[in-house]
Amino acid sequence: MALRQIAIYGKGGIGKSTTTQNLTAGLVERGNHVMVVGCDPKADSTRLLLGGLAQKTVLDTLRESGDDIDLKDILKEGYRGTKCVESGGPEPGVGCAGRGIITSIGLLERLGAYTDDLDYVFYDVLGDVVCGGFAMPIREGKAKEIYIVASGEMMALYAANNISKGIARYARQGGVRLGGIICNSRNVDREVELVRAFAKELGTQMIHFVPRDNEVQRAEIRKKTVIEYKPDCGQADEYRALAKKIEQNEQFVIPTPISQERLEEILVEYGLFDSVEDNYHI
Amino acid sequence: MAGLIEQERYTCAIGALQTVVAIPRAVPILHSGPGCGTMIKGFFERSSGYAGGDTSPCTNFSEREVVFGGTDRLRSIIKNTYKVLDTDLQVVVTGCTAGIVGDDVASVTDEFLDEGKPIVHVETSGFKSSNYVSHSAVVNAIIEQYVSRFEHENPPRSEKNLVNLFASVPYQDQFWKGNLREFKRLLEGLGFRVNILFGPHSGGVKEWQTIPRANFNVLVSPWYGEPIVKNLKRRYGQPYFKFSYLPIGGNETTRFLEELLDYARKHHAELDWKRARTFITEEENAYYEELDNLATFLLEFRYGLPNHVHIFHDAGYVAGLTRFLLHETGIVPKEQFVVDNTPEKYKAQVEADIKAASDQREIPVYIDPDAGALQDILRGIRHSGKGLIIGSGWDKELAEEKDCDFLSIACPTPYRIVLTTNYIGYTGGLRVIEDIYNNALAQYQ
Repeated sequence: MALRQIAIYGKGGIGKSTTTQNLTAGLVERGNHVMVVGCDPKADSTRLLLGGLAQKTVLDTLRESGDDIDLKDILKEGYRGTKCVESGGPEPGVGCAGRGIITSIGLLERLGAYTDDLDYVFYDVLGDVVCGGFAMPIREGKAKEIYIVASGEMMALYAANNISKGIARYARQGGVRLGGIICNSRNVDREVELVRAFAKELGTQMIHFVPRDNEVQRAEIRKKTVIEYKPDCGQADEYRALAKKIEQNEQFVIPTPISQERLEEILVEYGLFDSVEDNYHI
Repeated sequence: MAGLIEQERYTCAIGALQTVVAIPRAVPILHSGPGCGTMIKGFFERSSGYAGGDTSPCTNFSEREVVFGGTDRLRSIIKNTYKVLDTDLQVVVTGCTAGIVGDDVASVTDEFLDEGKPIVHVETSGFKSSNYVSHSAVVNAIIEQYVSRFEHENPPRSEKNLVNLFASVPYQDQFWKGNLREFKRLLEGLGFRVNILFGPHSGGVKEWQTIPRANFNVLVSPWYGEPIVKNLKRRYGQPYFKFSYLPIGGNETTRFLEELLDYARKHHAELDWKRARTFITEEENAYYEELDNLATFLLEFRYGLPNHVHIFHDAGYVAGLTRFLLHETGIVPKEQFVVDNTPEKYKAQVEADIKAASDQREIPVYIDPDAGALQDILRGIRHSGKGLIIGSGWDKELAEEKDCDFLSIACPTPYRIVLTTNYIGYTGGLRVIEDIYNNALAQYQ
């Protein structure tokens, strides 16, 4: 199978890292070889796969050792042989984290991290595509597939719409496509319908609805994915289902972002708030 | 719309590191990529000064500094500068990358301020402006961060006969040293005390400290440098006298000095007015004696002398030279080219100043930083008689193409060495005459 490089975007705190790692566990169970590249200065994208924040980030290593780095210094094996890398970043408030991502991915390529046996590489990217650096994973030659993690909350959908604008921009130049929206449920009323309708507006699909379940939090406290922590629970099956859907997904589109007004109309339509006047976000 | 331009005759903002180099015993510390200093050194010839050129410390801002921020590196470069260079003033100038990454340079220089070091920082990211503009930013930063520390010893406007003079952008004007020396000599001849602030004839940082004492400021410039005198007006209440082009030769130097005397009188300077007037007369006499000699030469030597001129330079030089050449040598200014990227709000005035050189003939004026495009315009224009092109080294080939005489007086200047020559004042006018006709005579067989 050809390598599939996938970037996961979504509003900060929506559950990108949790979803990516549980999804990875699901794919690994199905016999896939996966590498996860954390593209967030917080460097917490591989914690559940590695059983803790054991990882030294690419940028920390670069800072301390200069350019003379071995792949083994920055790439650790986690759950069932998953390869885990954290890009990391400068200290908060200094330097340029975006450039840090570019530097890290460039270094991974030079060091030969993208081996032939890999089936999937996931880029778990910080919440907003604030600058060119955070768009690095979707620029040419990198991830061709994108999934946006969202919920039925307005700001999550707003961020998803915004991210779609970035995808549409890069889609025109390169081959990047939106594979769908993963709904990470927040138990909002009529969430499934709302997110499905929103996805339709963007010209994409809601690829899976991941219900809210406290098993996820229990697993996180133990620094494990749900599939590793409690393989028999229902939530583990949800991630397995997501993994299967992504494996079999053939629907890749250039998204059609919508206007703020249209987004609000959809929210009103699905009863998230009675009228625009009631929306405290505006 | 943005587009490509050819033959930019100035540099980006960090070129104003030469403003620091021009202050005796001051050092620019570059918080920039390693290429910035080399580029500036290459653009300006003979630009090393006390601690410029290859001596200037630089953080060599590279990928590591971009990602993690460059303040640690800057701190260590400053520390090491103190170990190896004996300087009176340190000015940290920043390049594009430091500006984009957002390094907090002030927090680093503040640490050294706490140790009592005479250190200043100024943002000169290349994307901000040209060096014509950032020259003012550097001077204002020194005023705000260094001169301000000596205000208690230097009460504002406490010396009636002291003026601060701002004329040339050092090194961008290759005659800056000579020009400032001559301005100083002329103004002292009138009875003023003058802070020229740059070059070996200034008093270095001690002189900078006395800036607030000046009764008023003198700006000889169409636009560059004006933010300095405006800042001083706000800060110390000093008014400023503006003469918007370089006074070259007899007419304009006398006009400059007389208008300056009028201004000084209005602002209660206490000069010996009669002695000042005598000084002007003596200077004029010396000047006109040489013009007499020139007239004899011009009458006897009839062949191949230029009868018209095109100038490529900044607005101050173009306006000053056209007046001088037309009225005092008889060389008629034809199309004139202002290449200093004149800000929009000054363009009309610059054009008017140049056109005002003649009330008999229309002087076409082109204002555009794209000197390549301006050269193309001139390529398509023919006038009868021998022409003269005055400009930078880049205009030499054009002069050959058009069979014109050529005089190099602007950056970049690979075909001429200028050390202490001045082009302003009475003596400057005579020097311009020497240069133009020596060129002509050199071709005489």
